[in-house]
Parts: sequence; C-alpha cells; structure tokens
Amino acid sequence: MKSLADEQTAQVSPDLPLRANLSARENIALIPLYQKHFDAAEASRQAQALLEQLGFASIADKRDPDMNPSERFAAKLARALILRRPRLVIERPGAMLYDIHYPVFLRGLAARYEGKPEKWEVFDFDWNRPLYS
Amino acid sequence: MEFLLNFVERTGAKAVGWWNTSYGVLAFLSEVLSTLARPATWNRATLDTIVKQIYFTAVQILHIYLIYVLAISWVIITITLSTARDVGLFDAATEMIIRVLLLELLPFLTALLIALRSGSAINTEVALMKVNNELDALSHCKVEPMQFEFLPRIAGGIASVIGLTVLGGVLTLFLAYLSIYGLSASGFQAFSNTISTVFSVGVLIGLGVKCVFFGLAVTTLPMAAGLETPKKLFMVPVSVLRGMMRVFLALVLIEVLSLTLEYI
Repeated sequence: MKSLADEQTAQVSPDLPLRANLSARENIALIPLYQKHFDAAEASRQAQALLEQLGFASIADKRDPDMNPSERFAAKLARALILRRPRLVIERPGAMLYDIHYPVFLRGLAARYEGKPEKWEVFDFDWNRPLYS
Repeated sequence: MEFLLNFVERTGAKAVGWWNTSYGVLAFLSEVLSTLARPATWNRATLDTIVKQIYFTAVQILHIYLIYVLAISWVIITITLSTARDVGLFDAATEMIIRVLLLELLPFLTALLIALRSGSAINTEVALMKVNNELDALSHCKVEPMQFEFLPRIAGGIASVIGLTVLGGVLTLFLAYLSIYGLSASGFQAFSNTISTVFSVGVLIGLGVKCVFFGLAVTTLPMAAGLETPKKLFMVPVSVLRGMMRVFLALVLIEVLSLTLEYI
C-alpha cells in the first residue's frame, strides 16, 4: 500500500475523505486554489467544469453528509483528477460504492472523462474479479 | 515500600504526560510561527480564509458581544461609582473604571467568550478532522492543513480578540462618561486627561501583547488538543475537555502574569 502514496499518484480511497464542511465544488477547487494559485472564481469554475464532465454537476453545492455513495465517489474522483498526476489509483471501490454494480459505474465515468491520466488503475480484492468480467 | 513505588510511578507518568503535552503545544506553536514567517503563506487564498474566520469569530457575534459588554460595563460602572461616592473617592472613579474594566476585565471576558464559542468549535472540528482522516486527505492533495485550516483560525482569533476588545473598550468609555457626567460636555476635558494618563505607551503595548497572547491561547491550545486526539471517535469529547481546560488555565496565567508585571 505504501507505494500508492507517492507524489505521482492521485488516490481515490475510502481512507481519504472529503473535507466535511466544504461543498463538493469547494473540495475540488482547493487544489487549483492552493497548488496552482488560481483565484477563487477560476478555481471554482475549473471544479464545476470537471463535475459537469463527469455528469455530476448537480452535486456541486452538496456537502459530504448530503451525498449518496455514487455522488461522494464522483466528488472524490474529481478531486483526484484535478491533481493532474501521472497515475490515478482507485482503491477498494467496493468500500465506497457498496450499493451499485461499481465496475459498470467506473467504466461510465472513465468514458466521460477526456483528460489525463487516460488509464485508471483499480485496486480491488481478488474475490471481486468476477464483477469486472 | 510498594506505596512509595506507586507514588513515584504515578508522579513520573504525570510528569511525562505534562512534558509531552507541553512539547506538543510548543512544537505546534513553532510550526505556526515558521509558517507565518514564510512569504509563500501569504497568498490570496490564505487572506480570503482569514477574512472568513474573522467574520465567523467576531462579526457574527458582534451584536451579542456589544449587549454583553453593555450589561457588564453598566453593572461594574454603577458599583464602582456608588462605592467611590460612599468612600469619598469619586474623583478616582474614572481611573478605577478604566483600569479594572478596560485593561483587565474586558480583554479577559472577550477571550473567554471567544474561547467558549470558537475555541471549543475549533477543538471539536480539528479532533473530528483527525479522527476522520480529513487532514491526511488534505496532505495527499498537497493542500497543507497548517496553511488552509490552522493559520487562518489563529490569525482570525487574534484579530477578533483585539478588534472586539477595542470595540468593547470604546463602548465602555462612552458608558462611563455618560454615567459620570451625563449628556453634558463639561467633563470632557477631565475625562480625556484621565484616559491619556492611564493609557501610556507602555500600557497600550502591554494591552496589545496581552490580547495577542489571549488570541493565541484560545486558538492554538484547542487545535493542539484536537491534533493529539487518537483516531477513535469516542475520544473527541475527551479532547475538547482537555483543550478547554488548558485554554482556561492559559487565560488565567496570562492575566495573572500581566497583573504581576503591571502592579507588582
């Protein structure tokens, strides 16, 4: 697991929650705001555009406790994607998307997304392999 | 012999506990100061967050605070004037009011109000962030919690203690004047002379430093307590309890030190 936590990898993990008192948009906008030093309006616009691209524009103003598992996952995914790191690792998706057939959901999100990284890596338990076939 | 061993063991454990706590608080404080000194910290995003914190800490409670200052000041001024009249020291009443209310009671009560309202909230929030891994998530995204979460709260806390104390002080002076001289302007000269005598440069600097320390105490101690919380949800109330006790002890210590330096 330690190898996942490097600076080249953006993680979507049950162990990396959203900031609970911020909306989905604000959680995502923190990265362009603090890392790339965009102003608040531009950072917010980028976050909104990413959520729209993933098909989850409607969750922009929702906070973590108000989201369902799919919405929460989409917000976490958008936060990881906006980091623009070479690797994207989705760790234990079943722990985050416990109420849907998540391989199909993940493929749907990947098909909508047009930026980098093009390849997403999923780390799941071996006994869940049949779900992906 | 066993009693002695137990006593030594307990005392040692307490001493180690106090040492660890003090070291943790000082380490946190030094990190705060080094972040404050870094020019990269002072970007637009940090300043925006500080402004938000000042709004949450001071502006949102302004009306309640002013009513609270008005009530306390009115009671203390009335008691002081009545007692001063009884013992024949009415001429010294203005100075007594300024010294007791403006220099000592108001800054202390302001810090106490902010500690109860914002300090406890900060302690709970930081403890929950620690327990829920939110701080780790921020670090993973290279958004430093010190810059985004902690520093704005500390700067906001200090600015709020200073700002509210100044506002409360002005209101108290106004009330004191009305209580002593009524609506007449005849006492203005004597009143302003007393103010300028009491508020020497040294006293003003001392008051400012005391407010800064009060602001630091009501923000950094709850944060440090929150950060010490083990990753267990049931430990959050314990963390708040410890943090608020430390804040209270620190506020009393700062007040006693300031009185000692001023009068002894």
